Parts: sequence; structure tokens; C-alpha cells
Amino acid sequence: MQFKRIAIALTGAAAALGLAACGSSAASGSSSSSSAPAPTTTPSSTSAMGQFGSACSQVPSSGPGSFQGMAQAPVATAASNNPVLSTLVTAVKKANLVDTLNGAQNITVFAPDNPAFAKIPSATLSQVLADNATLTKILTYHVVPQKITPEELANGNFKTLEGGMVKTSGGGQDFTIDGSAHVVCGNVQTANATVYIIDGVLMPPSS
Amino acid sequence: MNTEQVPIRTRIARLGIGGGLGIIAAGAALGVGELIAAFTGAATAPALAVGSAMVNLAPHAVKDFAVREFGTNDKLVLVSGVLAGLVALAAIAGILALRRLWLGVAIVVAFGVVGMLTAATGPATTAVSVLPSLGAAVTGAFALVLLVRIRRREPVSVAATGFSRRQLLIAGGSVALFAAATAVGGQYLQSALDSVTASRNRIRLPRPASPAPALPAGHQFQIDGLTPYFTPNNDFYRVDTALALPQVPAEQWSLTVHGMVRNPVRMSYQDILGMPLVERDITLSCVSNDVSGPYVSTARWLGVPLSTVLNKGGVRSGATQLLSTSTDGMTIGSPTEIVLDGRDALLAIAMNGEPLPIEHGFPARLLVPGLFGYASATKWVTDLELTTFAAQPYWVQRGYDRTGAVKTGSRIDLPRPFAQVKAGPVTVAGVAYDQHHGISAVQVRVDGGPWQEAELTTQVSLDTWRQWRLTWLATAGSHQIEVRAADRRGNLQPQARTPVFPSGATGWELVVVTVTT
Repeated sequence: MQFKRIAIALTGAAAALGLAACGSSAASGSSSSSSAPAPTTTPSSTSAMGQFGSACSQVPSSGPGSFQGMAQAPVATAASNNPVLSTLVTAVKKANLVDTLNGAQNITVFAPDNPAFAKIPSATLSQVLADNATLTKILTYHVVPQKITPEELANGNFKTLEGGMVKTSGGGQDFTIDGSAHVVCGNVQTANATVYIIDGVLMPPSS
Repeated sequence: MNTEQVPIRTRIARLGIGGGLGIIAAGAALGVGELIAAFTGAATAPALAVGSAMVNLAPHAVKDFAVREFGTNDKLVLVSGVLAGLVALAAIAGILALRRLWLGVAIVVAFGVVGMLTAATGPATTAVSVLPSLGAAVTGAFALVLLVRIRRREPVSVAATGFSRRQLLIAGGSVALFAAATAVGGQYLQSALDSVTASRNRIRLPRPASPAPALPAGHQFQIDGLTPYFTPNNDFYRVDTALALPQVPAEQWSLTVHGMVRNPVRMSYQDILGMPLVERDITLSCVSNDVSGPYVSTARWLGVPLSTVLNKGGVRSGATQLLSTSTDGMTIGSPTEIVLDGRDALLAIAMNGEPLPIEHGFPARLLVPGLFGYASATKWVTDLELTTFAAQPYWVQRGYDRTGAVKTGSRIDLPRPFAQVKAGPVTVAGVAYDQHHGISAVQVRVDGGPWQEAELTTQVSLDTWRQWRLTWLATAGSHQIEVRAADRRGNLQPQARTPVFPSGATGWELVVVTVTT
């Protein structure tokens, strides 16, 4: 009982200290000397951004394609630094969506990895890549104009930029998108978007 | 003692009490540190001093990452991290102290010594910088010894719920209260005595000898969502590299001009105020501003022409580079030839009618229209060295182009990326910039069709951006809007995409929008 009271007193004291010290940091703020350019390299340490999934290990551990590197860059730039998303990036460039994806705020992107595109017969894939209207429709079906947390994926129904609704289900670290694609590396943060790397290409219901 | 069977609950309680005592003692230590730091400078407080030292010791890549990752929260994250580590360390010290008092005290003292060392080797060190950590170490050791002694006086056999804990509870609570009181008091005093804020508030800006030319009619379009001509100070972009904002009262600031000069000089803030001041509108941009990026802003600056400042020293021939250093050690290099070619390169002291905000370089910073920030815009500048390009400033060491010339840029603000707009007349608008060359034209095309001339706001000066707009008769469907600009020399913004590194991004922005019926 009294031990508990000590513990509460301690917690209170620690909290007061924590607040105080953070207050002092807020007073002096953060800063730079000059408008400094972007770094050219990124460190390998400190992960713990909450990404999860079996394919996360394929993400480079350092450099612009690492989780740290991707967190600094807007989503299309971040994806272009990640070899596992190279087919998607080709498609995004083809559809001229690079600036639009980079410029949009607070979005979620379901990003099919290269094996996902490999599941599509190559003739079909080249056909889609050659047809900008269809390609744009498919790609924008992978973008939701809000940030989605893993918890919200458990039983979700989200309106995509294409207009169609994408359904999500699952729990823990195992989520299914539209009943077919699985999240293989989820909750990856970029400067303007949350990314879920998936193992299948989603198809808008209307198409 | 060691061989006796201790019930698990008692052992856990012992760990908890030891850890708790350690944390309380550390709290008292930090509180006293904060209190003393109110008089010796916030940056000398133990937690902040150790955090800053960690930043200075961290590899550049990690530092760059933290700044980019956490942006303006980087410092908060770091101090929280240091505090978390400290709490853990304090708990361990307390647990050890119950067994071997000297061990716990040694940990507390060791942390104090680390704090003193980091405070003593910081960029803005004075003789009193070590006092907060010294006071903290003494307080922490004293509090730990006191609490452990009281704890040891208790009969060991009494269970954790025993009422004889009262004495320890009172002592622990008192020290915890003391910790909270000194920490809060220290914080309060730090802000009350904050000499930088007070110094900034005391400043009365003189009238400029050369005011900014009157803004011409039509210098701005009134369109909701379009970037305004002047960027309010709070919205002005910042790309951060340092951890703690340099705290330099104007009264303590001075600027040294040395190196390849005939006559090295040092001038005070009062000296600057006494010089003929000029007021100019200047757009500043960052090399890391990608196509469609946000790192470009415009303000009305007040300052002394950099040529006036440099001529006090008398620049010797062969001094090809102006190497400027901020009070926190950041170095930036600008080509002397560009600085002295007659453009409005400034040692600025005010921004949009008020003394420079601390985060934008108070008391003084540099600005050179036509150069990216990394090659010209040193904040908290205290040192100007005339030298050659053999000297490599911070970003040039990291591979960036040493010249730093800005590139022509144009941005689509409206419609927003992925916007859904109604068919019919739609306003397409944005900004275009090419500081010191000026924008002469902006063109827009939809879906790769013919380029159309956008309407431009009146050019205020060659050093400022211009807004542009165009009414587009939108038809249903998905559409791609592209923009490009030309400068006054007739050079078209390059279409080829280049990345930010090493000399700034190029490419025409393209935005995809959906038009509904």
C-alpha cells in the first residue's frame, strides 16, 4: 500500500522533471544554421518506426531506400529509392504521378512490390503500362486520401482516389487488402504518406 | 545476506525502492541543475548539455537524419531520450546504492562529470558553464546518501507494507518535492531571465536609409490557397541542422571580418544599427527544395549591405570565397565575386518588420539573392572570413556544389495534387522564382497540349518570386497540369529531372487532378 504511494510519488516527481526539461528544450527550440540542404546519406541505426511484416527485411538497412531514408522523402521519391518497388515506380513515372504523389498531404499508399507485378501476365502488364488512363485508374485505386494506421486496417473500408472503395481486414501483423493482397511490410512512413507494401496489384471494382 | 532466501516479493520491492530512491535523487540533481542554469544559460543544464554533446559527437549522417526525421521536434526527441536514459541510469544507481552506497554515488558523480565536460566543451562556453552539472552532481550524491541512510536505518525484517516506512516516505517525498520545486523554479527563472528574448524585445529598429520600393499595384493575386507574396515569419521555411537554437543577446553579439583583408575589424550590434540600413524584399530558397517542394519563402528584410561590412575590412584581391560562421560553428561559403557584384547581399537584422526571430538567426544573418541558403544564408553569423575555395564549408564537404546558384523554379499551388474539381472554369495558380534573374513568363499546359501563357503578378524586384494564374476550362476526367517558367534572360526552366544533390533539383512540375461533372 505504502509502497504504492511511494511509487506514485516517484512517478509524479519524474513526470514533473520530464515536463520541466522538455519545457526548457521547447524554449530554446530547434534550429539550423541557414537553410541547409538535404543530406545525401542516411544512417543505418535506430529503427522502431513501427513497420512490420515478413518483407521488411528486404528493405535496405541504410541509405535513402532504408526506412529512415524513406521517412525523409516524399512518397514517390522514397519509393524510387527502394529496389523492391521498382516496377511500381516505373508505372508511377509512366502515369506522370510523381509530383502529385509527392505533393499530396496525408495519404496512404498500398504499394505492390515487384513480385506482385510479376504475377500479372507480361502481355497484360505491358498493355496496362501503355494505356495511361487505365494505368492512372489502377494506381489511384492504391491511394487513400488519409493516413491509415495498422489498427484501422483490421476491418476497414476506405474510399480511394480512384473513387472505388478498398476493403481491408485482418489483425496483428497479418492484413489482407481487397481479400486478395497481403501486407508484406506495413506502416512504412514517408514524409507525406503511410505506405503498406503488398504482394498483389489491386484492381478497381469498376474496371 | 546473499545466501539467505529472500522472498521474490521482497526482492522486487527492494528493487523498486532502490530504483525509486535513485530516480528521486537524480530528480533533485536535475532540478538544481535547471535552477543554476537559469543563471548560466539554458544550454548548460545537465540534460541539455549531455544531449547537445551527443549531437556533436554523432556522425553527420545520424545528425542529418535526426534533423530531417524529427524536423523541429528533433531537440524534444533528443532531450526525451536523454531523460529516459537518465531515469534508467538513476534507477540502477539507486538499486546499487542500497548494496554498495559508493557505487551508486559514483554513477551520480560520473554523470555530473560528463555533464561538466560537455558543458565545458560546448560552443558557447564560459567559466560558469560547468556549475549546473557540478551543483547537480553534489545534490544528487547528497540526496542519494541521505535517502539510502534513512532506508538502512529501517528494520530489514519489516515487510514492504510495514508502517515503519513512514520516515523513508517522508524523506523521499520531501526530496521529490524539492526536485519538482527546483525544476519548475529553474524553468520559470530561465524564461524570466531569458536574456535573448529580453534583448530582442528591447530592440528598436531604426528607419532604413533606403526603404523597400513601394509595392506596385497587382503585386499579389487574392486567391484562396495560393501562396501569398510575403511569407509570415511563422510560416517561413526552416531546414534544420543544429540542435539547440543559439542564444545570443544582441548586446553580447559581435561580428568579426578577417582573413584576406587589409584591416581585420570587429563590429557590435550598435555599430550595425549606426550604419545606413537598407530594406529589401528577397525570396530565399533551399537547395533541398525538390520540384513541387515547400522550401521557398519571401520576406521584407532590413540590414546593412554586405559590401559595406566587408569594405570596413578591405577585401584583398584573391579572396575568392566569403566563409561565414555562425555562433554554433556552422560554416557556409559564398563566392566573393557574387557577394560584391552590386546585388542586395545583406547582413540582415530584421524580417517583415521585426527583429529576426531567434529561429531565423537573431541577432544577425546573411542573405545573398540568387544563391541557395546553404551557400549564403548563415544565421546567427558572427564571423566573416575572406579566403579562397580551398576552405570547404559544411555542405561543400558533403559534396554539394560550391557556387550555390539558385535554379529557375515554378510550382502549382492550385488545384491541389489529386484535387477533385467541378467541370467548367478552374483557377490554376502558383508561384515562380529565379532570384536575381527574375521571372519573365510562366506557361501552363494540360494533358500535353499547347502551352498557354499564365497571367503574372507585377514584378516587385528581380529578387522576388511572382505569382501566376490561369483559368482553365476543365472537362470531366483525369487531367495532367504542367507548369514551366522562363527567366528574364530568356532561359526556359529545364525540363530534365535532376535530383536535389548536388546543386538543386530541376524539372517541370506536373499535377494530376480529377474533374467531375
